[in-house]
Amino acid sequence: MKKKFKLTKKVFSFPYILFLILFVIVPLVLILVNAFLDSDKNLTLNNFKTFFSSPASSIVLGNSLLVGVITTVLCLVIGYPVAYILSKMSSGKILVLLYVLPMFINFLIRTLATKAIFIALNVELGMGTVLFGMVYNYLPFMIMPLHTTISGIDKSYIEAAQDLGADKVTVFLKTTLPLSVSGILSGVTMVFIPTISTFAISQLLSNGKIFLFGDSIQLSFEQNLYGVGSIMSLVMLAFVLVSNFVMNKFNRNNDAVRRSLW
Amino acid sequence: MKSYLKFPALIFAICLVFLPLFSACDKKDNGGEHVELVIYNWEDYIDIGDSEMGRNNILDDFCAYYREVTGDTLTIKYTTFDTNETMMTKVLNNDANVDLICPSEYAIEKLLLAGKLENQKKLYEELKPTLDGYGIDLDGMSSVGKGDGTIEDEIMNVIRVMFGSIEDGHGNTLDMTEYMVPYMWGTLGILYNKDVISQEELDEYGWGVLWNVQNNEELENKILMKDSVRDTYAAALFYMYEYDLLPEKYKDIKNAQDLINVTDDEMVEAAERVLTEQRDHISGYEVDFGKDDMINEIVYADFAWSGDALWAVEESYDEDDEVHDDGCFLGYYCPTGVNPKTEKERFSNIWYDGWVIPTTVKNPLAAMMFIDYMARPQNAVRNSVAIGYTCAADKQLMSENDEALAFLEEQEYDVEEYFSNVGRYPEINFALGVMRDFGGENEKVVNMWQRAKSGAGVDMSLVYVIVAIVGAFLIAALVYIIAQLLKRRPKKLSSAE
Repeated sequence: MKKKFKLTKKVFSFPYILFLILFVIVPLVLILVNAFLDSDKNLTLNNFKTFFSSPASSIVLGNSLLVGVITTVLCLVIGYPVAYILSKMSSGKILVLLYVLPMFINFLIRTLATKAIFIALNVELGMGTVLFGMVYNYLPFMIMPLHTTISGIDKSYIEAAQDLGADKVTVFLKTTLPLSVSGILSGVTMVFIPTISTFAISQLLSNGKIFLFGDSIQLSFEQNLYGVGSIMSLVMLAFVLVSNFVMNKFNRNNDAVRRSLW
Repeated sequence: MKSYLKFPALIFAICLVFLPLFSACDKKDNGGEHVELVIYNWEDYIDIGDSEMGRNNILDDFCAYYREVTGDTLTIKYTTFDTNETMMTKVLNNDANVDLICPSEYAIEKLLLAGKLENQKKLYEELKPTLDGYGIDLDGMSSVGKGDGTIEDEIMNVIRVMFGSIEDGHGNTLDMTEYMVPYMWGTLGILYNKDVISQEELDEYGWGVLWNVQNNEELENKILMKDSVRDTYAAALFYMYEYDLLPEKYKDIKNAQDLINVTDDEMVEAAERVLTEQRDHISGYEVDFGKDDMINEIVYADFAWSGDALWAVEESYDEDDEVHDDGCFLGYYCPTGVNPKTEKERFSNIWYDGWVIPTTVKNPLAAMMFIDYMARPQNAVRNSVAIGYTCAADKQLMSENDEALAFLEEQEYDVEEYFSNVGRYPEINFALGVMRDFGGENEKVVNMWQRAKSGAGVDMSLVYVIVAIVGAFLIAALVYIIAQLLKRRPKKLSSAE
């Protein structure tokens, strides 16, 4: 006998599980399979050889990582003071909304608009404009977690530090900064990982002159080089996983530090 | 479990309701059978009508013609692709259930070798009794073994020379002209801004203009190249030929055909060198916004396909313009023939797209009739005017066809100028070469293209940015620590007292 269908809480997760299988797991398996196939669908390891022996791929990957690091650092340098000041202000929550508001507009439209502004101002498109576009697009991803963490810090730590005679800078360095490390880490993850795989921003804001890893993957698939494209995607995935792992490790250590603060 | 099925069923029902909206022709029930024709064409590559200029959608006109001849009602399902590669992936994987495709020459070669195309000559013989029954003969088609039909014989010659006998690797020799009917053709050249680049400059420097070899200050960083491997590779070869930069063993090549089909290591390496060098002089790579950027004068030179270029030139027309003799501030230049200054021969590329019938065809009769209909001079001119590209129909036949001439005049064209425009109708000779599929060399050329696009090495300016940021941090930290130390000392002393 068939079991009667019951509407339980579990049932509501089915659509998402189905989605996950169809659009995350199946494509990943396809990429993995494609990495070992040549253009005639024969099993081969040549794709790996092509990718790892070609200087082009390492140059492109190197450039992408550099752009990713610079974008992340710039976002942190700009975002941290903003998040810090906003968390001190009573109207901070509303102001944060203003920073996050652009995120609700599709990033392609924003990037095209940025490009139009640069052209109107006669700015030459190139690395500078790409970095600007990256920072502009990913800054909210840095400010959001930082603001949440900093405003969540228990005020009594700061008061205690002040009571013990620490000046403003020491208070910041000894309490606020260490306590906001988890926010910094999640902000860095949220900025670094998308920037190394982005392709539309670099393509649009440099007229295709700045060629990043994402662009390279796109070109490979477009040119029917599914094998090499799949390997690039796997390398990208590896980078994402490694940086996630490192961040988690840091975060855990940081938790230990925080506990030891007592 | 039944409730699970309801939702998809509902969606399916909705789709069914909306489906007819996407079809080009009305399904009026006037007797006869209902048949369907599925067309797979480039985007913006057919006359879809323009009420302002008094043109109908040519697909609707074909449906009416089909009904008139056969008595059956035809529904056209029209789908599009944006690159040959997208289309080929679909067709080669048998995912495209279509009756007609319009690929470029090299894609036709590839599909032909993969055995995906119907021989139209054989198809015609099979269909002959039916066609005779309807009283039509498909004389316009160049593929059915009745000469060149309504197609320009010079184009047919180009195809015969290059693809007249292709070895398929199984001991068969295939003749591409039996598998396709040319639709549009054109050249590769330079779309330029007349205010920045002079005619003398173009004549003297030819392809070098795209490298800004003349050091025109206004032009520096205002050049766009195509973001497409094949076209940019061809440009690099033409440039190297004109400026004697070819590897030693290719120095005595005498025609364009032989030149642009070289893809050995040495040539690819040389192409990479000139393309990397070009990066410093250009604004970037595009495939779609080049025309607009030229019209808006954001850039001053664009490496372009003739059809796109002629379209942009027409767009740049201004009635009140008194500076330029034709009223357009843009021009198209295809560097071929002898350079008057250096007496060096210059080459360019000739390409064409043609109608082919894939083996997945379900309605061969309608497909063949469609190709024939499109090849008629009056219809070829219509498509040509609508999209800007040069149609492959015979120039002589077109200029003798009253319907075509009346149409051109109605669309405000100077008929004589239209057919004598060298941008639209260049002289076809050895200086224009057809580019074959790269075949097994594709990956090598794509890899070169990736390197050329990413620049020779890791961008050093980025490393400097990182060093600068880290340096700024270190200095700030140092200043801060010193300040702290200076502040702390007196405090410690006072607390000690």
